[in-house]
Amino acid sequence: MPTIIIDDREIEVAPGTKVIEAAEQLGIMIPRFCYHPALGSVGACRVCAVKFLQGPFKGVQMSCMVDAQDDMVVSTTDKEAVAFRKYVIECLMLHHPHDCPVCDAGGHCLLQDMTVSGGHGIRRYLGKKRTYPDQYLGPLIQHEMNRCIHCYRCSRFYQDFGGYHDLGAMQSANQTYFGRFEEGILESPFSGNLIDICPTGVYTDKPSRYFGRRWDYERSPSLCINCSLGCQTVVSCRYRKVVRQEARLSESVNGHFICDRGRYGFFYNSLAQRPRSCIVDDQTTSVDQALAAVKQKLETFADKDRAQAVACAGSTRNSLETLAMVKHVCQTNRWQPPAYFEDAAATYKLKSAISRLEPDLTVSLREIESADFIAVLGADPLNEAPMLALALRQAQRKGATVAVFDPRPIFLPFEFKHLPANLDMIQTDLGALLNAALEPAALKKLDGSAREFYASLATVKQISAARQAEIVALAELLKASQRPIIVCGTEMVRRQTPALAADYALLMQAAGKSVGLFYVMPGANGFAAGLLADEDVSVETLIAGIEKGSIKMLILVESNPLWQFPDRHRLEQALQQLEVLVVMDYINSEVAQKADIFLPTTTLYETGGVYVNQEGRAQGVKPAYQGGIPIAQTGHGDHPPRVYGTEIPGAEPQAAWQLLAHLIGTGQPLTAEDLRAEIWQWLAKIDSGFKALPCVADIQPQGARFFQAPHAAERFLRERPIGGADNDGQLEVMAVEMTFGTEELSADSACLKALAGSPVIFMYSSDAKQLNLTDGDRVSVELNGGAVEARLQVTANMAAGMLIIPRHKDLDWQKMNTDKTFVHKDQIRKLKD
Amino acid sequence: MLPDKLKKTLEKQIAHTDHPRELVVDAMLALQDHYGYLSDAAVEEAASLLGMSALEVEELATFYTFIYREPVGKYVIHVCDSLICWMDGYESVKNYLCEKLNIEVGGTSTDGLFTLLPVCCIGYCDQAPAMLINRKVYGDLTPEKIDQILEKFRSEA
Repeated sequence: MPTIIIDDREIEVAPGTKVIEAAEQLGIMIPRFCYHPALGSVGACRVCAVKFLQGPFKGVQMSCMVDAQDDMVVSTTDKEAVAFRKYVIECLMLHHPHDCPVCDAGGHCLLQDMTVSGGHGIRRYLGKKRTYPDQYLGPLIQHEMNRCIHCYRCSRFYQDFGGYHDLGAMQSANQTYFGRFEEGILESPFSGNLIDICPTGVYTDKPSRYFGRRWDYERSPSLCINCSLGCQTVVSCRYRKVVRQEARLSESVNGHFICDRGRYGFFYNSLAQRPRSCIVDDQTTSVDQALAAVKQKLETFADKDRAQAVACAGSTRNSLETLAMVKHVCQTNRWQPPAYFEDAAATYKLKSAISRLEPDLTVSLREIESADFIAVLGADPLNEAPMLALALRQAQRKGATVAVFDPRPIFLPFEFKHLPANLDMIQTDLGALLNAALEPAALKKLDGSAREFYASLATVKQISAARQAEIVALAELLKASQRPIIVCGTEMVRRQTPALAADYALLMQAAGKSVGLFYVMPGANGFAAGLLADEDVSVETLIAGIEKGSIKMLILVESNPLWQFPDRHRLEQALQQLEVLVVMDYINSEVAQKADIFLPTTTLYETGGVYVNQEGRAQGVKPAYQGGIPIAQTGHGDHPPRVYGTEIPGAEPQAAWQLLAHLIGTGQPLTAEDLRAEIWQWLAKIDSGFKALPCVADIQPQGARFFQAPHAAERFLRERPIGGADNDGQLEVMAVEMTFGTEELSADSACLKALAGSPVIFMYSSDAKQLNLTDGDRVSVELNGGAVEARLQVTANMAAGMLIIPRHKDLDWQKMNTDKTFVHKDQIRKLKD
Repeated sequence: MLPDKLKKTLEKQIAHTDHPRELVVDAMLALQDHYGYLSDAAVEEAASLLGMSALEVEELATFYTFIYREPVGKYVIHVCDSLICWMDGYESVKNYLCEKLNIEVGGTSTDGLFTLLPVCCIGYCDQAPAMLINRKVYGDLTPEKIDQILEKFRSEA
C-alpha cells in the first residue's frame, strides 16, 4: 500500500489510486474538469496540476494521471502549480460566454467554482469569442454549446460508459463540438446524466429550465420508485412543487447515475389533475366526513361473518408503512387477506425469490459491475430496470460475458449473447450451460437432493441443435469464470424459475465459484409486498370473490388494477358488482374515478417512507416538502390568491397508512410517529427479518439489508421442467414492460411521452413470414377480450412462437386471460394503412 | 446513391477486416472521390457500410483535414500552415494564393476550380514553403512558381 505525502499530510492508499483521489481522501479537493470518479482520468483539461516535490516524478504534473507511490511528496499549494492552474482556467474561460445570470447551471457550476478558486478574476482576452449553433436534443436536455470548455465528460459518459453512439465530439482543436450528427431526441435512456456530469451549463435540465437557482430549492435525499432497483436521488422542490430530480451517489445501488425514467418519473406528484380532496358519491367532502362515510359502510359488515365481505388491496408502489398497514387493517378487522399483486403466481414467485436470497448469494447492483460472467434469465434489463443494463455494461467493459436467456427482443447497449427461447426453454438452456460448464468432480461436496438436481440438468445434446454450439462456447467462458452472477426476472417467468435460478447459483457455488444472485422484481416495493402477501391471494382472487358475491366492499390503497390487470372486461364487470368501492390514491387513476368514496393520499415526496428494493435493501426517505397545491396552480400562473389562511392549500391528503389507521377500532388515532413505531412492531411479528430494519428516521444512506431466516430445506426441491409444451402452432402472448410508457407513475410525465413512442407488437421473423406479414404492417390481434391493433415489428432477435405486446399506455392490451394467453395464427390479421 | 460496383468493392474490403472500423478512413475517401466531397448522405452510407453510427463517422470526418464535408473545387490546394513553412514564407505564399485566386482561406474560386485550405505539416519541411494540390506536393514555392502551377491546372481543366 503506497504512502504519499500531500500538503504535509501523509496518507496510505490502495495501489492504483491516483494522486487526485488520494488528495480527496485527505479532504483536499484538487480542481478538476475532465476527471470524474466514474469515468476515470484522461488528462485533457490540465486543471488538476500539482507540484511533485520528491519521488519518482518532479515538477508540475497532472494529479489525475499519476498513481500515488511511495516516497511521493506533493504540494497542491506550490506557487508554480497555483499559477499553472490559474492560466489553464484563464484559457478555458477565453470563449466562455459569461452568461451565468441566464444559465441554469449558475449556482451549481463546477466552472464557476474552479474559476473563482483558481483566482482568475479579471478578463484579459479582448478578442472575438468562438460561437456555436445549439442542437435540439429532445424534451429532456437543453443544449448550449457556447459554454463548453471541452472536458469530454459528455462524450465519454455517453459513449464509453453508457454505450450509445449518437452523441460525441466532432471537429478538432478550438472548434471541437459536442452534439449529434443531426438534431433529434437522444437515444440513450441515460441521457439525463449529461446534466449532472457537465461541469458547466452545456447540458441543462429542460423541464425545470428557468425555474430557480439551486439555492432556491428545498433539496433533499430521495429515492426513485419507478422500478425495483431503488436508485438514490436528490429531489429539488420549490413553490410547493417537485421541480427536478438528480442522481445521488450510492456505492451500493446506482453509483453516480440514474436512468431517465427515474429522473423524470416524478411529475405525477404535481399534476393539476392530482386529486386533492375527498369525494363521497360525487360530492367533495372533508377527510373526516369521507372517513365517516367509509366507517358507516363498514358498519354494515361489522359482524364476524360479514367482515369477510370486505377486501383491501395495496400495490408495489405502496411504502412499507402502507403495505404493513393494509395487512394489519385486514387482519384486525377480519377482512379478506390483502392482495398486492394482479395474479397469485406473482406472489408465489416473489416469495420463492425472497426466501432464496441468502446473505452469501445476494449481490447489490454495484457488485454486478465486478462480475466476470452474467447469465440473465427471464429479465429484460433495459426495459424492466434500466440501471441494471448500465451496470451490466460496466461488467462487460471489464471483460465479463453477458448471456441473456429470454424470449423478448432484448437490446443492451453493449455486445452480449442473446439466446432467445420461450419461457420454458430458457431455464433448460441455462441448465444445459451449467451442466456443460461445471466439472462433476468439483461437485462432490453436494448432498443428496443437490446431486439429484445436478443429475437432472439437461445435457447439451438435449437442447436444440442450433443452440448447442452457442452453449458449448459459453460453457468454456463460464468454466473459466471466478465471479459469475445469475440475474433472474420474477415477473414474466414461470412459477419455478426464480427458485431454479437460486439452485443454479448454488450449484456454481458448490463448484467453487464466488456466485451472486440478483432478482429483478415488479414495482418499487415488490420485495416487501411479496413478503407480506398471503399466498394464493391476488386481485384475481378478489375478483373471483366479487363474482361469487362473497366480496361486497373493496378498498384499493394506491392500487390501480385497471392499469395492469390483464383482463380488463372481467375486472370492470366485477367493480360494477361491488356495493362499495373505496379508493385511496395520489394519482387520478381510472379506478379512482369509479370510486364511491375517494380519499387522496400523499406521495413519497410529501410523507417519505421505506421502500425495500429487489435485493432486500430497505431504504428510507424523509419528506422533501410540506405538500399542497403548487403555487403555479393556485395562482393560475399569476400571483397566488391573497387570501388569509393558516393552512397550506390542497394539503388535505394524508399518508395512506394514516388514513387506514382510522379504520381500526374506535380509539383516538395515534400520532404519525407513534403509528410508525407501532407499524414496526407489527412487522417484526410478521417476519423476524424486520427486526433488523431500523425505522425510517434511522435508516443509513446505504439502507439496511433484509434477510429471511434460512430455509435450507427448500433448496433443490422444485419441479424441474425440461423442454416446453408444443403450442400447436399458436403464439404465446406476453405483455411486457418497456423503458418508457408502461410504468404507471412515469407514464404521467409529459416530457417522457415522446420517448415512449407509439406502441408496436413484436413477432419473430419466420412466424411473420408464415403469416405473410412484414415489418411495419398494421396488424390486428384477436385476443380473448377483443382485438388489439398496432404496428408490427418483425425481428429475428426473439423467440419463435411468441407475440410480444408492450403494455403501452396508448394500447388497450388488457384483453388477455389471467393465465397464459395464446393466439392462433389466424387470429392475427393485416390491416389496411 | 452509391453505385453498386463501388458499394460491393467496399463491402468486400470491409468483410476482410477483423474490425470494420479500421477501414473508416478508406471508406470515407472512396465515397469522397465518388461524390466530390463527403456529403451528409455519404456519411450515413459509410456508417451503414461499417456498422457504425453516423455520429461516429462524423467525429472522424470532421477531424481529418483531407475529408471535405462541403463541396470543394476541382483542385484542392492545401497550403502548409506549420512551423517550418512559417519560418520559410508561409504567410506570403498564403497571401499570394488568396490574392491570385481572389478567395479567402477556406473559399473556392468563382470558376469552381480551386479551393484553398490550410494543413498542419505535410512532411515536406525540406522544401518549405510547400503545398499539396490534389494530394501531390509542390515545394520551394515562389510567386512565379505558383503562377506556373495554377496556369498549368487552369489549362488542364
